[in-house]
Amino acid sequence: MLSFLPLLLFNALIACTAARSDYHERLLLRPLPQSALLASFTFRSNESSGAFEEQNFRYFPRSLGQILQHAHTKELHLRFSLGRWDASNWGQMPWNGAREGGTGVELWAWVEAGTEEEAFSRWLALTNALSGLFCASLNFIDATKTIRPVMSFQPEGDHHNMSRLHLLHGTLPHEVVCTENLTPFLKLLPCKGKAGISSLLSGHKLFDASWQTMSIDVRPVCQKEGDCAVEIEQGVDMVLDLERAKRPLDNPIPRPLPIEEISCDGSKPYNAPDTCYPLTRTADSSWSLNEVFGTSLHGACPLTDDRDGNSHTVCINVQPEREIQVKTAGEYDESRSASETLRCYKLPVGEAFDLVLPEQQMTTGLVLPTPPLYAARSINGHGQERGSVQAVIRNPSTTDAVEFIYLESLPWFMKPYLHTLRAVIDKSEGNPVKETYYRPAVDRRRGSHLELRVVIPADSSLSLTYDFDKAILRYTEYPPDANRGFDAAPAVIRLLSPRPPDRKGVYTRTTSLLLQLPTPDFSMPYNVIILTSTVMALAFGNIFNLLVRRFVGADEVPSRRGLRTILQGKLERFKSLVKGP
Amino acid sequence: MALLATLLALRKDPRIQRLPPYLSLIFIIVGVAWLLLLPLDEYSRETYVSENALLPGQVHTYFTGSEHNIFRAYRHEVAALADKPVEERSRALTDIFRSHNLKAATQKYTYQPSGRNITNQNVYAVLQGPRADATEALVLIAAWRNMDGEVNYSGVALVLTLARYFKRWSLWSKDIIFLISGDSTSGPQAWVDAYHNSHSPAAIDPLPIKSGALQGAIAIDYPAGPWGHRFDKLHIMYDGVNGQLSNLDLFNTAVNIANGQMGIGCTLQRMWSHKNTYQDRLQTMLRGMLSQGLGHASGPHSAFIPYHVDAITLQTVGDGWHDEMSLGRTVESLFRSLNNLLEHLHQSFFFYLLLHSMRFVSIGTYLPSAMLLAASFSISAIALWVQSGRPDLDTPVPNPASTHPSPQEKKSPSIEEEKKPTAMTEVHLDTHKTLIPSALLTTTERSLLYPTLFTLLSHTLGLLPLYLFNNTPPSYLPTLLNLSLVLSPALPLLTASFLSSSPPLRPTSQQTTLIQSFSLLLLGMFLAALATLNFSLAFLVGCLCSPLAFTRYLPGKKIASAAQTLLLAALNPVVVIRAACWFWGADVGDVVVRAAEGWHVWGLWTQVVVWEVWWPAWFAGGVVVGRGLFS
Repeated sequence: MLSFLPLLLFNALIACTAARSDYHERLLLRPLPQSALLASFTFRSNESSGAFEEQNFRYFPRSLGQILQHAHTKELHLRFSLGRWDASNWGQMPWNGAREGGTGVELWAWVEAGTEEEAFSRWLALTNALSGLFCASLNFIDATKTIRPVMSFQPEGDHHNMSRLHLLHGTLPHEVVCTENLTPFLKLLPCKGKAGISSLLSGHKLFDASWQTMSIDVRPVCQKEGDCAVEIEQGVDMVLDLERAKRPLDNPIPRPLPIEEISCDGSKPYNAPDTCYPLTRTADSSWSLNEVFGTSLHGACPLTDDRDGNSHTVCINVQPEREIQVKTAGEYDESRSASETLRCYKLPVGEAFDLVLPEQQMTTGLVLPTPPLYAARSINGHGQERGSVQAVIRNPSTTDAVEFIYLESLPWFMKPYLHTLRAVIDKSEGNPVKETYYRPAVDRRRGSHLELRVVIPADSSLSLTYDFDKAILRYTEYPPDANRGFDAAPAVIRLLSPRPPDRKGVYTRTTSLLLQLPTPDFSMPYNVIILTSTVMALAFGNIFNLLVRRFVGADEVPSRRGLRTILQGKLERFKSLVKGP
Repeated sequence: MALLATLLALRKDPRIQRLPPYLSLIFIIVGVAWLLLLPLDEYSRETYVSENALLPGQVHTYFTGSEHNIFRAYRHEVAALADKPVEERSRALTDIFRSHNLKAATQKYTYQPSGRNITNQNVYAVLQGPRADATEALVLIAAWRNMDGEVNYSGVALVLTLARYFKRWSLWSKDIIFLISGDSTSGPQAWVDAYHNSHSPAAIDPLPIKSGALQGAIAIDYPAGPWGHRFDKLHIMYDGVNGQLSNLDLFNTAVNIANGQMGIGCTLQRMWSHKNTYQDRLQTMLRGMLSQGLGHASGPHSAFIPYHVDAITLQTVGDGWHDEMSLGRTVESLFRSLNNLLEHLHQSFFFYLLLHSMRFVSIGTYLPSAMLLAASFSISAIALWVQSGRPDLDTPVPNPASTHPSPQEKKSPSIEEEKKPTAMTEVHLDTHKTLIPSALLTTTERSLLYPTLFTLLSHTLGLLPLYLFNNTPPSYLPTLLNLSLVLSPALPLLTASFLSSSPPLRPTSQQTTLIQSFSLLLLGMFLAALATLNFSLAFLVGCLCSPLAFTRYLPGKKIASAAQTLLLAALNPVVVIRAACWFWGADVGDVVVRAAEGWHVWGLWTQVVVWEVWWPAWFAGGVVVGRGLFS
């Protein structure tokens, strides 16, 4: 077994920043178990704060920069995510959860303002502007979906006047991330997806991934006093299923393979031409960049700053003996580091570049880092009135206790009872909750906000449960797909100890929850309308009749039933018959 | 106003007071006739898929070719596990799931209903939908043994093959859970209870892997052995515990796909040949009602329905030319349809009676039938209440306005001579004077305590058999049933003779009438409420109780009372259960054991209806009638 390259090292490679305007990009590929492939794209550019203030943008995207200035936002974190990270198979997240979001859209920012009201109005301006920029429903982050976390987030940048900064956080768990979010994301890059590693990002493959997250992080970075820069880091992380990703775009249907192409277990007694026990493939399957991403890599982005030895853009983390063929007509360079488990390539400019990994039987495997915590959350109970939430958080470490902040942001119609909060550690007594911050919901104004500081001893698991009531919404407050249920945002877990390696922190997020609320039969209002209309029509008709009709006594009618009247009547009828209607 | 006055005057009319029994009879006849009309074309409807998102049968299915070879291999694997211990079986199944790169886990469960021991294991695997966010999930079930106790070889093998096949698709928007439950009833129940965390942690393991809210469940029952068996039809089972039904859209989708896309005929309620005639439709409906009324679990899907997870079981029947791949493609298409769902199934009916795979009756059409039955009891109860408030129960009050002599006066002058002249009171109003029979002016006090206590007591008494039948060890259950077969019909007679022989406890005739009134009133209310929850059970109990609306306390008429007593004894719940078992050839001991299992495992409450609604009403009726024998 080879020791796994500590991600720290890789992070350090990319984390060297300077207060000058520059641009770096990097792609890390890492095969994961069960024929999955992790691809982490990172794009980072800087702008000195002076140039930023004067709107003199070089690599920093102008559209985003102006929004940030308008909304007085000093630090911004935006996440678009789809699917879930399978921690038990894939291990620790690529950026320790610091660049990976929960399902849907998550946004948090430090906004400069004098008062809370001002901060909130600037926050609304920010969400509305970002909503337009990224074609996402970020404008739906209103007061009910906004919280002000107390312990869960720390600024990553260097800020001078922390007292004037307000942290606001909002999530849209039901936002489905799709191609229309990727296009504006790519447009923020200097090479706009035309060259460099961003040319690999196509919507077809990105959104067919088992898990993917797009992140944007803007923060001020100061080397020393006065030498500050605004840094933007854009990231795309995805886990591709190799078998699925290798299928050609024009034939994506996984038809059963011809029986000749399936390897059967001949040792089974019943093995016959018509009976085949399929063998699981043990060899690492073959793949190439072109196959997996559906497009070819169009050489390096010429704007990349290749001083400081940061020019090796594409890195692949495999065993040293894994065979890799490089296919390009241009000049490239390969470098190996971290006891040869990391191979990085300098891309040729203007020439297509491809990495081909043939099928190979591997004798060693990569050791995946264990995540510090495993978290799962589910809704228990059934029925339309109440339920309970259960979060099971496991500390896999056999030596260290883990201290973390658990942040739960619930919609107002999910009303938790804090007195029912139970935190039970399976192997020890005592209350693991050290500190609680709770801001109860106000109907239709704001949601519940719960933060807990919890310690889990080594090798034990915590079961956190609380009961909640389901509110009954007004008829017009239901969305069009009311019977689907309502999404509750993922819980955010921030690790406090063991101490995170850098300022970005270590985070874990649970999956979102689907909450079934009591839903009326929406055809009922129409029944009511129809019934009311009928009653109204009957009443109105009768009263109108009584009011308008002139009642005349039978004896008051002048009797004019002479022969002349009868004849006149007959004549009229005859006329109408002749003339037609 | 004039109409009101006329109606008020009619109150005292003896003809009105003779009306209720006839009214009750008419209600019962109309109620039953209503049900018999339902199979006609005019009262039933063609089924249709209401949820647009389902789009049944609109996709190509690709489960063919080499998948068949793999299926055969898995069937051999399953057959080899048939005689192995549970642990080994679970391990082997888990290994197969894991080899498909699925997350698999096992769950042990132990139930001990009335001293029996049901221990087994569930194996399940979760296919995490590539585009899913763990909020929604579908379930594909194959119980290791089906309802008849046969090993579900091909069903389990099909689930294993489909798990491998489904894993390759990227279009799943929901997680898919493959569940191989240890048996057909307790296993799914333990699993679904644990999934919603409402299990008892001492006897049932929690689930280590969970997914999102369950949106639907499909169970496969295909017990063909390792060499296969081609089937003729799919038998679709849709009724859950306590007569709850799965959404009609799910059933329709299954029928639509099987019939329209795959050309497999569908049948229901064990109607192997259904010619869509009136008789066949009626028979299907009645079988469906019986199954719904009993409220037992009819397959692995039944446990899911109380959790508002719509579920059906597809069972293969007959000899034909459809093979496992046809069934697999049906399931594939069904899952593709369910995968399209944007919302929980809610569009179509949850309350319906199916007459044919393509024809149904909705609740609005059939509900009046059970409501009329329930109303017949309420009418009798009101009539008895009015009767109990009348001063003299034996002689009708003469109508002062009547110009005809009363029939009694005409027929029996001898009695008339003995009778005292009717007491009259002079009433003054302004300057007018009139003579009114004194009896009309006196108010009769009703003594309510005794009948109330009696009714309460009879309901409390019902708790005793409810407890005994659910908690006696199975070896003693047949003895208990035989004992109750003797005791239960005799109990009202014993009670009546005891009450008659001890003067302080002897109810007056007014109290006897009130006892019957109260018990009928409760029966009517219970049945009306029950009809909205489990129509069939309310209808069946209503039919079996219908004589209670007509039996009366007849003091002095020993023969009539004895006849009534015999009739009621024949309709005693225990006698009816025994007779029904004999008629359908079921083993009565088995029925009682299963009922006890249902009580403890599935949360069945048919017993509550039998012992707390039907039996007390029958008991009170029996005592009232029996009083006539001992007066």
